[in-house]
Amino acid sequence: METSVTQRSLGQPGLRSDLRALMAVFRREWTIFRRYPSWIIALFIWPLIFPMMYILTARALSGPDGSGLAVFMKTTGASDFIGYIVIGTTVWMWQNIVLWDVGFSLRDEQMRGTLESNWLSPTWRFSYLLGRTGPQVISMFMFITITAIEFGLLFGVRLNGSPWMILLMMLVAIPSIYGLGFAFASLVITVKEANAFVFLLRGLVMIFCGITFPVSLLPGWMQSISKWLPQTYLIHGMRAAAFSNAGLAELASDLIPLLLFGIFWFVVGYFTFLWMERHARKTGAIGQY
Amino acid sequence: MQPTSLSQPNLRTQLRALFVIARKDWKVFWRYPLNAVSNIFQPIIWITPVYFMGKAFSTNGQALGFQAYSGTGDYMSFILLGTILSNFILTVFWGMGYALKNDMDAGVLESNWLTPVSRLLMLVGRTLTSLLTTAITSMVMLVIAALLFGFHPTGNTLAAFLTAIPMLIGLYGFGFAFAALVLLMREANTLVDVSSFLVQGLSGTNFPVQSLPSWLIPVALALPLTYGMDAVRGWILKTNTILPLRVEIALLIVFMFFMLWFGSWIFYRVERQVRTLGTLGQH
Repeated sequence: METSVTQRSLGQPGLRSDLRALMAVFRREWTIFRRYPSWIIALFIWPLIFPMMYILTARALSGPDGSGLAVFMKTTGASDFIGYIVIGTTVWMWQNIVLWDVGFSLRDEQMRGTLESNWLSPTWRFSYLLGRTGPQVISMFMFITITAIEFGLLFGVRLNGSPWMILLMMLVAIPSIYGLGFAFASLVITVKEANAFVFLLRGLVMIFCGITFPVSLLPGWMQSISKWLPQTYLIHGMRAAAFSNAGLAELASDLIPLLLFGIFWFVVGYFTFLWMERHARKTGAIGQY
Repeated sequence: MQPTSLSQPNLRTQLRALFVIARKDWKVFWRYPLNAVSNIFQPIIWITPVYFMGKAFSTNGQALGFQAYSGTGDYMSFILLGTILSNFILTVFWGMGYALKNDMDAGVLESNWLTPVSRLLMLVGRTLTSLLTTAITSMVMLVIAALLFGFHPTGNTLAAFLTAIPMLIGLYGFGFAFAALVLLMREANTLVDVSSFLVQGLSGTNFPVQSLPSWLIPVALALPLTYGMDAVRGWILKTNTILPLRVEIALLIVFMFFMLWFGSWIFYRVERQVRTLGTLGQH
C-alpha cells in the first residue's frame, strides 16, 4: 500500500505554516536582539539609573533627619520607599519599551524596505507583530528580574509577598500592554513619524498612574482619568503583591479591571491591525516611507 | 574691489558660513512644529511625578526635609531651574555630536568637510539655532509650569544669567570632545543616552547634591556643571550653595578656559586620525 504525504509549505497556508512563519519571525528577532551588545546596557544599566533619579529626589525630599520620609510612609502606606518607586518606574519602562519596540516594529521593517515583500508572502500577517512580541516579552521578564536582583543586592529592597502573585499580575497585564503596542504599531504605519505619540502615551502613564506617588494625591479629575489606564491597576497590584503580602482576594480589585482592559486592548490592537492592513494596501502606504 | 568668498576665507566669510548653517537648522526645526510642542511638554511631563511625590513628602505644603538640604522648601522652583539649565546643557553638550551623526547618516559630512570653513566653527554653527529654539521653548515651558506648579524667583536673575555664561561656554569644550568621540565611534547613541542621564542627574538637576549618598558626592563635586547649577540657584532662589558664590564663579571661569582648550585639542587630534584612516565618510 502506498501512502502519499502532502508537503505543506508557506505557499499552502494553514495553521502549521502560520506557526512556522511565527517561529521564523521570532527566531529572526531573537538573533537581532543578541547581535547588538547594547542590550547589555538596556538590560543592566537602565533598570538601575532610571528609578535612581526619582529615588535620589525622594532622598532629598526626606531631609537629613528623614522627617519627610516618615510623612511619605504615612501618606502612601509603603514600608519601603525605594521598592515603592522601583515598581512604578519599572511598569512605566515596560510600557515605554513596548511602545518603541513593538510599536515601531512594522515601521522598522518599512524603513529597511522589507515590509512590502514580506506582505506579499502567503503568511498570516499578524505573525509579524506577534513574532516581534515573543522575544520582547522574554527580554522584559529578564529586565524585570534583573531590576529586582539589582535593587535587592544594592539597596536591600526585600519582597514581603508572594513572587507568584507578582508574576500573576504581570501575566494578566500582558494583553493590555501589548494590545496597546499592536494598536500603536498599526497607527505608526499610517502616520509614519509617530515619536510625538509615544511621548504622549508614555506621558499619560507617567502623570496619571502614580509611578512615584499614590494616585489618591491627584486632583479628582485626574483620578477619574487614571481609572481608565490599566497601568494604574498594575502598579497598585504589584505594590500590594510585593510589599503587603496581598493574596488573590485582595488583588481581585486590580486583577479584574486588568483582565477587562486586556481583552479590550487586545481586540482593539487586532482590529486596528486588520484595518491598517486593508487601508495600507488600498492606498499603497505599505511601501512608502 | 576684490569680492571675498568662502574660497578666500576671512572673518566675514566664516561668519557668513555660520549664519547659513544656523538658517538651515532654523528652517529644518520649524519644518516639524511637533518637535517644538514636544520640547515644551516633555520636561513638564517628566517633572510632574516629582511634583506629586513632593506632596507625599510635605507637611502642610512645606517640603521641610528638602529645605534642610537646600535652604528652600520650594522644591518645584528648584527643579524647574534645574530643568531649564539641563535643556541648555543638552543643547550644547550633546547637540554638536548629534549634528555630526546626522550629517554622517545623511551622507553630507564628507562634502561639508571639504569646504574651507573651520570645523570647530561648523560645530558651533550647529548649536546656534538650537540655543535659540531651546531658549524659546524653555521660556514657554517655564510659563506653563509656573501656572501649573508655581515658580517663585526671589533673587538676582541677571547675576544668574551672567554666571551661566562661562558654564555654557565651557560646555562647548565638552561638546567638541564628545563630537570627536562620535567621529571615532560613529554609533554612540546608547553611550550618550546613559552618560547624559547620569551627568544631568549627578550634577543636581532635581535635587541638591548634598543629599546624595556619601560615596556619590565626590562624583557630583567633580562635575563642573554641579557648581553652575548650584550658583544659578544660589542667585535666583537664594539656596544654600556648596561653596561661596565667588569661588563657584571662579571655578566656572577656569573650567571654561580649560575645557575650550582641551575639547578643541582632542577634536583636532581625532579629526586628523579619521582623515588619515579615511573613515570620515563611513557610518
